[in-house]
Amino acid sequence: MNGLPPSVLQQEASLGDLLDVKSFTEVCQSFAELYRVGLKVFDAQGNRLVEVKVGNADFCGYIWQKPDGRSQCIATVQKVKGEAVPEEAKPVAFDCFSGCRYVVQPVLYEGDAIGRIVFGPFVPDDLVQLPRTLTSISPDFDASRAASYMQKIRRVPQGTAEKILHHFSEILDVLVFTGHKNLLTARLHIEAVQESYRELQDKNHQLEESFGKLKELDRLKSNFLATMSHELRTPLTSVIGYSEMMLEGLGGPLTAEQREYLGIIMEKGENLLQLITSILDITKIEAGRVRLVMSEVELGQLVRDAVSTVLPHARKKGLTLHCEHAANMPKVLCDREKVRQCLINLVSNAVKFTPSGGTVTVGASELPGERVALFVTDTGIGIPEEHVPKVWDVFYQVDGSSTREYGGAGLGLAIVKSFVEAHGGEVQVRSVPESGSTFTMVFPQRGVATAARAPHAKSAAS
Amino acid sequence: MVAFNNESREIALKVVYYGPALSGKTTNLQALFQKIDPKVRGRLMTLDTKDDRTLFFDMMPVFFRSASGVKVKLKLYTVPGQVMHESTRRIVLQGTDAVAFVADCRRTEAAPTLAYWNDMLKNLEANGLDPKTLPIVIQMNKRDLPDSRGDEELTDLMQVIRPLVIPAVAIRGDGVLETLHVLLTLTYRSLDQRVALERSWHISEREFLSQIFSHMDLRGTQLAGAGAAR
Repeated sequence: MNGLPPSVLQQEASLGDLLDVKSFTEVCQSFAELYRVGLKVFDAQGNRLVEVKVGNADFCGYIWQKPDGRSQCIATVQKVKGEAVPEEAKPVAFDCFSGCRYVVQPVLYEGDAIGRIVFGPFVPDDLVQLPRTLTSISPDFDASRAASYMQKIRRVPQGTAEKILHHFSEILDVLVFTGHKNLLTARLHIEAVQESYRELQDKNHQLEESFGKLKELDRLKSNFLATMSHELRTPLTSVIGYSEMMLEGLGGPLTAEQREYLGIIMEKGENLLQLITSILDITKIEAGRVRLVMSEVELGQLVRDAVSTVLPHARKKGLTLHCEHAANMPKVLCDREKVRQCLINLVSNAVKFTPSGGTVTVGASELPGERVALFVTDTGIGIPEEHVPKVWDVFYQVDGSSTREYGGAGLGLAIVKSFVEAHGGEVQVRSVPESGSTFTMVFPQRGVATAARAPHAKSAAS
Repeated sequence: MVAFNNESREIALKVVYYGPALSGKTTNLQALFQKIDPKVRGRLMTLDTKDDRTLFFDMMPVFFRSASGVKVKLKLYTVPGQVMHESTRRIVLQGTDAVAFVADCRRTEAAPTLAYWNDMLKNLEANGLDPKTLPIVIQMNKRDLPDSRGDEELTDLMQVIRPLVIPAVAIRGDGVLETLHVLLTLTYRSLDQRVALERSWHISEREFLSQIFSHMDLRGTQLAGAGAAR
């Protein structure tokens, strides 16, 4: 048999398994008392499950005292217990040498004889006197004493004994059937649970395997990105560097047009470099290779730095930039470079998504519980509600179509979240579509550096 | 798998009625129980829930002794139909010698029926049984209901699939004995091929079938005049 362990359905049950022998014995006792005749039940192997004696103790005890009586008694018992009887629901009579009689009937279940019922001994009502076979067992056999003991054994016509036995076998049949049914129910219940468990384990195993494969693929992807970003950056540095040298006139005088073109090459080159740097950052984060360098940082300074970095671009777009922070902000222990990068990412985003004439406000504030917040508020296009939980995911774009209006790789916010969380802080976003968004980074004043971890899809939604 | 006991000269066989929930598996067994002589069968054991749906299985034993003195014990089982009892279906299928697939032949039931057919093939394989060689018949049950597939469709179906298809209305007892008769004929032949029932055990196909079907009430079935019981 492949796979499955053998079921209880495949096994034959023995009579002892199907009955609760203790309570069955009680049934037999009350039955035997009612009819005042002894009763024995054996299983198919000849093991005695129940024995109830009624009335024959003195009689049999007396015979047992004589050696011949004892040996013949043993032979009779063996015959009654073991001699083959036809496999049908009919009683068979066995005569004892003592004149008593037994009736025996096999216990049939599903066409098999799974045991036998022995009813007796009783005295057949046609017995007139003690037989020779009994009186001759010993020269000193006291027939009158034996006859008086025999009085205590019930005298029954054989037909009646057979009827009683038949009745008992019908009761036993119901008990056996019920017992078998209960046994199968209980065992099958367990088997079904075991089988379901085995099935679940198989599935778990398969899931684990595919999860392992996915993790390996993810690692390969990160490696690839890291390598490629590095390879892209090297020639790009030359492109930017040589453009810069030409602009400075190192290659000879330039016309106004050449100067303008070189300016564009340099600007786009810088954009590209920034993008590649972001990819490198995120792959470093994913590989767990980012370590924070902690120092005391004045947040007001950080805010002013970020604003002045983005100011030219904002002016060009016709936006107003505000700074908003208290004069005496406490110093915060954090990685200056990473927090500055985060703030610039947020402010650049705000500028990118705010149409001309809008306002971007950058600020810092103290929060209760020794925490500080850096926030960027804009009056831009906002984020539809269903996208809000996912904006922190790596590569996630609210508008992911190829014809989208706003560029970007979808890495800026993922990097922000990773860096802030590496400080033991958290990020928040509130947004109303068509009227603007506020992104907030909350840091503990005394940050604890942990390795940055990349936010994956789903994790940010929780 | 069929169990032989050379010492006690016994053969134990197992037949499973498989199929989707409420397709009529238990109804088949109940109809057989009514039609078969109590002398050659045991009680019908039903493990069901309060709503009368099969919890684990139904089981009915049938037995006879051949002229050569071999005791043949046949156990008929049904599997529980509901989807959640998948593991029980697999356990009940264990070691089966033949399968009667009871299908609800209404067109609306075609998709679940196919799903259970595939489920059965999977569970047979999980038990190391080969659906290509195992005796299987398909009973197209509930032919009396509106929307059931017509005779022509059944004829077409019989031409494209290997197992024999037998139409039935189990609730009226129609086709129930015919299904078992075809299945047991296939079972006998498959066993005879593997273990030489005729040569080694001296049980002929005719005797094997007649020992069971001569104890059945064949009135109103196609078997009545066909000599199946003789």
